[in-house]
Amino acid sequence: MRIKFLVGLLLAAFLTGLFIVAAPVQAADPIKIGAILPLGDATGKDGIRSMELAVDEINKKGGVLGRKLELIVIDDEMKPDKGAAALDKLATVDKVDVFVGGMSSGVTMALIPGMKKYGKVTVWIGGASGKIEQALEGQDWFFHLHTWDYQQIAIFNQGWDEIAAKYPNIKQQRQFSAYEEGPFGTNGFKATKGIIEAKKFVIQGEAFKSAALGGGDYRSVLRHAKEFNPDIFTWVGYDKDAIPMLEQAKEIGFAPAVYVGSPPAWPVDFAKSPLNEAVVFYSMWNEAIKNVSKPSKAYSDAFHKKFNDAPTTYFGPLAYTNIMIVANAIKKAGTVEKAALIKALEATSYDSPTGDKFVFGKSKFINHQAYASPKIMQWQKGKVVVIWPFNIATGKLLYPFPAWDKR
Amino acid sequence: MINSIVNKFRQRNFVLGFVAVLVIFVLLGIYKPYVLIEGIQRSSLYALIALPMALLLGVVGIINLAHGDFMMLGAYFAYFMNVQLGMDPLVAVVPALIVFFIFGMISYYITFKHVIGAPELNQLLLGFGLSLVLGQAVNIIATNQPRKLSLDYVSSSMKIGDFQFGTYEFIYVAAAILVLVGLQLFLKKTRTGQAALAVGQNPRGAKVVGININWIYLIVFAISVAIIGAIGPIFGTRNTIFPEVGLAYTLKSFALIAVAGIGSLTGVLWVSLILGLSECLVLSSLEYAKWSDIIFFALIIGVIMYRSHQRQVK
Repeated sequence: MRIKFLVGLLLAAFLTGLFIVAAPVQAADPIKIGAILPLGDATGKDGIRSMELAVDEINKKGGVLGRKLELIVIDDEMKPDKGAAALDKLATVDKVDVFVGGMSSGVTMALIPGMKKYGKVTVWIGGASGKIEQALEGQDWFFHLHTWDYQQIAIFNQGWDEIAAKYPNIKQQRQFSAYEEGPFGTNGFKATKGIIEAKKFVIQGEAFKSAALGGGDYRSVLRHAKEFNPDIFTWVGYDKDAIPMLEQAKEIGFAPAVYVGSPPAWPVDFAKSPLNEAVVFYSMWNEAIKNVSKPSKAYSDAFHKKFNDAPTTYFGPLAYTNIMIVANAIKKAGTVEKAALIKALEATSYDSPTGDKFVFGKSKFINHQAYASPKIMQWQKGKVVVIWPFNIATGKLLYPFPAWDKR
Repeated sequence: MINSIVNKFRQRNFVLGFVAVLVIFVLLGIYKPYVLIEGIQRSSLYALIALPMALLLGVVGIINLAHGDFMMLGAYFAYFMNVQLGMDPLVAVVPALIVFFIFGMISYYITFKHVIGAPELNQLLLGFGLSLVLGQAVNIIATNQPRKLSLDYVSSSMKIGDFQFGTYEFIYVAAAILVLVGLQLFLKKTRTGQAALAVGQNPRGAKVVGININWIYLIVFAISVAIIGAIGPIFGTRNTIFPEVGLAYTLKSFALIAVAGIGSLTGVLWVSLILGLSECLVLSSLEYAKWSDIIFFALIIGVIMYRSHQRQVK
């Protein structure tokens, strides 16, 4: 009996000692940030590199709360099922403290049940569909850093109004919108139609099958657009549609006064296409912004230094912003505990490399929405020029879109 | 060949069908000329992609669900030949034929050889698995970043009065006719082709009379992969390529062959023509364009149901 008592005492002492020794180690454990991105896509490539850049910068300065940041990234391949599996792994195997990342609306929709199940603090840069916002109504742990589709459309229309006011020769009374037949394009068109018709302008729209879904022949839609003779022609689809859409427009001789392309990102070969001249597009950021924004210049320079390359999509600075906002909030909260972290995130005020200040406010359905203001840009001589907002413009709108036989 | 065409014209149904097609062409040409031109171009693409599958499925009874993925590989092959060596994708068709013939042989040895004679479900699952492997391999090596070469001739066009239309896609018409004639000659004029027809009709009987059926399966599979691999560069000049680009075409080819009747290569051409023109006609209407996919599959379901009904009546 005495021996048993002694053994028990020794075991208890050993375990206590172990706990005391292990405690400082635990304190130095990294803070785990779980990211989900489409790594094969240009947006995901820029996103992961920018997140790594941000984490490196933070860790070089000693980390957050004396702990290093550890970034765990899983590729969703832009597939909803892979995204959902990635979220489960990050929550249950890696046991991350915060979810970040995101790109496609379709993938984000598939993640919502998992996000709700785990209820972890999520600071998300992807998913523009208003349906996502509706599905996440009342979730105080969800923070969104990308404009919703209806917000983007309202801002672009404001942009065109200002451009038309400054250059009276630019017309926008007749608009044609070719949109991909999925939720991304359809919802976008519905929102656009409402705004355009409210301005007493005429808008016609037609859905097309994106190359991403087995389509790729846009000639009938382009012919309808040509017959309509719009002042502004906009197509809303994916990067896979970008070059064939232009080639087929040229083929049938369709050259509207303003040709707008609105994919989430341009394909890697688009910059090399001789047809890209004067194509207008909408984006949150381009490297040209570094000439007018200090944080943008700092980010661009650091990116070049680390990767000897340039980010090609706005998901680069947005992903950098993603990590910085999370790290700043953890520092302010002094913990990764959920309630304190939410409170700290709500107090965010961050000067982003996108050239905008990120401050969370209420949108239609959620309470934590902050975004980079979309800009109107144009391809000119193989490079991107910022056209609007005028205070950060790096060039003037090339108008009208040159006829195909006069290039 | 000429004799068989003359004989066809002696058949009343064929003449009626031929006249009906001519009338449709003339009416469409008057009503909406672009529907006729783009419909023929679209039909030819469908036929072009479906023909190698029709050879494999119709003649020797192999169901290859990785069919579109071989085309995707061919498109990537041409893309990288252009980027690395500056070779024009249309020139890359020639090396693609050789490379994919060899690749087809290797693929057959590793995969389909083991399911010949097994229930169709095994072939379906194997093809599906092969499709996933090929797609994922490209995803890992080349990423899923979409790629598209910018080639001047791809957007070439012709203008007649106010009507302007693209001319590049006529390459599909020429290629489809070339592949069809080539396959017909192969099947009717070569010993291997005739042996393939015999194997397709009765593998056991073919074996009994001394045909090396394993060799026939191997050759036909390799030819099918070589052709679809060589179609890849032609397809890739016009379309953006990415790892999943071939999947939709596997499904469409399968549907076309089902309607045309298993084993009928010329049937594939006619059915492609009907479906391509119907699609273009529906797409030409602003109000009803969204119905084009439904019409495609409704036609297919209709024909299959009609055939089934006819069989029951008999």
